[in-house]
Amino acid sequence: MKDKILIISFLIIIYGFAITLIILPKKTISNTENRYLKEFPEFKLTNDYSNSLDTYLLDHFPLRDNFLSLKAYYSYNILRKIENNNLVINKAQIYKMENTNYKSIDNYYDYITKTMSYLNPNNKVSLVLIPDKNYYLDKKDFIKIDYDYIYSKFDNLDINLIDVRNILKSDDYYLTDTHLKQESLEDFIKYLLKNLDITYKDIPYTYHYYENFKGVYYKDIHIKSKLDTLTYLTNPYIDNCKVKYLENSKLDKVYNLDKLDSRDSYEVYLDGASSFIEITNSNSLNDKELVIFRDSFGSSITPLLIPYYSKIIVIDNRYIASKIYLNLIDFNKQDVLFLNSTLLVNQSFTLKK
Amino acid sequence: MIFSSILFIFYFLTTLLLIYFITPKKYKNLVLLIFSLLFYFLGEPKNIIFLILSCIINYYLSYFIVKYQKKKILKKTLLILGLSYNIITLIYFKYTNFLLNNLNNIFNLNLKIINILLPIGISFYTFQAISYLIDVYNNKHDKATNLIEFATYLTLFPQLIAGPIVRFVDIKDDLNKNHITKEDFSLGIKRFIIGLAKKVLLANTLGEFILKLTTKTILSSWLKPISYTLQIYFDFSGYSDMAIGIGLMLGFHFKENFNYPFIANSVTNFWRRWHISLSYWFRDYIYIPLGGNRVNKLKWILNILIVWSLTGLWHGASWNFLIWGVYFGIILIIEKLFLKKYLEKTKVLKYIYTILIVIISFLIFSNENLDTLITEFKNMFFLNKIPFTDNVTNFYLKDYFMLLAIGIISSTPILKTITKKYPNKIFNILEIPILLIIFLISIAFLIDASFNPFLYFRF
Repeated sequence: MKDKILIISFLIIIYGFAITLIILPKKTISNTENRYLKEFPEFKLTNDYSNSLDTYLLDHFPLRDNFLSLKAYYSYNILRKIENNNLVINKAQIYKMENTNYKSIDNYYDYITKTMSYLNPNNKVSLVLIPDKNYYLDKKDFIKIDYDYIYSKFDNLDINLIDVRNILKSDDYYLTDTHLKQESLEDFIKYLLKNLDITYKDIPYTYHYYENFKGVYYKDIHIKSKLDTLTYLTNPYIDNCKVKYLENSKLDKVYNLDKLDSRDSYEVYLDGASSFIEITNSNSLNDKELVIFRDSFGSSITPLLIPYYSKIIVIDNRYIASKIYLNLIDFNKQDVLFLNSTLLVNQSFTLKK
Repeated sequence: MIFSSILFIFYFLTTLLLIYFITPKKYKNLVLLIFSLLFYFLGEPKNIIFLILSCIINYYLSYFIVKYQKKKILKKTLLILGLSYNIITLIYFKYTNFLLNNLNNIFNLNLKIINILLPIGISFYTFQAISYLIDVYNNKHDKATNLIEFATYLTLFPQLIAGPIVRFVDIKDDLNKNHITKEDFSLGIKRFIIGLAKKVLLANTLGEFILKLTTKTILSSWLKPISYTLQIYFDFSGYSDMAIGIGLMLGFHFKENFNYPFIANSVTNFWRRWHISLSYWFRDYIYIPLGGNRVNKLKWILNILIVWSLTGLWHGASWNFLIWGVYFGIILIIEKLFLKKYLEKTKVLKYIYTILIVIISFLIFSNENLDTLITEFKNMFFLNKIPFTDNVTNFYLKDYFMLLAIGIISSTPILKTITKKYPNKIFNILEIPILLIIFLISIAFLIDASFNPFLYFRF
């Protein structure tokens, strides 16, 4: 009897899932994992074909999300693991553990010194390194980057190092994402402008909301986690400035609202991964110009600097090399701001030199 | 294709079982052969030709060996031809570049390295073919009835690409009977689920743990080989369990390939419990024909060293595998000459000694780069100035502690002994739900897998 029960149960499971997988309509995007799912692979006479087919089946497996949750449940509750996919939840905030890559930090330092050599002596150069939110996690069982090493590395460099570690706090970051919430940046902007010798002005903003934002960590955590509201701010300066994107000539706004419903809603700010952007503001509060070398953290910060500069050039240092941007800009008297996250500093080999 | 994949479990296995069970008995072997070739084709579409060639050549050579039974010279020539074909094929695919590299290094030559893709499972099916030819030559069993029966034996997919090394005599009856009982099928499911769980829940997760120990500390340099020893055990014995399980579902009874090797009380005993089919293959087809232990002491020592050098090289064309084999050869000689009698007098020391020797052996096994191997060895034995531990090692040790504990307990017969000693109704009732839950958790791990290699596939 026992044998029969096991045989029938096993066969029901394997045939049941096999048939359901064939019958079920195929999705193109996984909402929970926030990524595109694999399409059925075209047959090729290669050793990898069965792997491609298996990846397709894994992506479209019935109850996939429930299985992912089951794995997370087993990891946390049976294996008593502290992390799942290197992620830890603390008070609804998801943190990623990161080992220090000292070579990468040194590489970032070399990148900064090399880039500074391209600049004009009249450029006032500043550096802001935005800490990953795990900097604010006060937990013994956690691995984080050696922040002291990073910041001390730049102590002796002739650069205006703006240390924002005590200005930001963990609530300023999205729960399921690495980035900073634009609506929480008031103190940060005040401090930044002060250090850039710009007078801060209390400018009213209009708040626009996008509910149920799923950040980059959401897809890997696999347990029910609280979602954020993504907020983007506007005011007449932001609405009326002229914006030119090197890759997207059709877009002339600071925010690309089409991206709100895309795979990564955070790309609403400055169209996401844009290598070179020119923002001109004829109504600026100052005549100054600013060049920002930034990564994705700069996307939500830059719009809040628009009122204070007549022109802002935004260079994504992950995507554009010096030989290209040096043909597009004349460095003379602009303020130059390196605005990168410590995550990039710790994985800096993606930088274009 | 690997057993621990959605494609295999939910499509290959289901289709095969359906067709296999509705096929009349006399065609079952043909169905198995077609599916075995399909299984191989899905993983190695181009190299399947060598598998087919091996089937045809070895079958007809054995056919003629039997036919010319009384013509001793011709019979011997046919055997030598067959052995040469198998050995040359294996050497060509597996050792050509190793030989060229070493010739270049030793004689400062510039011989061009050839782009050779090692056909998966070649070490296993070649050894099976050799054992078959020798056994037919020695009249140990009848030859296969026809090419289909022989090809079904040689390509039988459950054991085709990672063993166990099955001998024709062990499954000849099963090939003829094609009889499957409810009990066998149920036991096959159990073995398959247990093997899948060993592979997916233990081996893969231990592999992740090793990758996370990125800092150099004395503690991590011990944790890595300990975890690797457990990983390779669960990986390989898990695969063998799945092979035995699928075999049972199809009416085949393969011999056990592992028997709790980590409770061995000597290295000699360890090799009677680890990859048993390989140890016995080398014993029967190399060691005994060389004279075994019925020769003078010096020749006997030489025989052991030859066998273990070959065992090492069988695992891979790299110096560390050769060192690994010779290392075991030397330890076995020392044990047999004098150490065994001292070990037998101890109660606990013999187990600690054996497991230490095994852990160090897998340190050699896992490091193809000899410089890294020496550094790791020095790290373990306080010969490099590195800290005892650091926060990364401490964190991941804590994070994976339960996995390590489950791994260590599961590698011993503790659970088996408890359930046998204290049989109770509750366990009897819960056995099936527990198995099915383990199966579903394994599927969950497969779905979220980023790390799913089979360590023994490269051999």
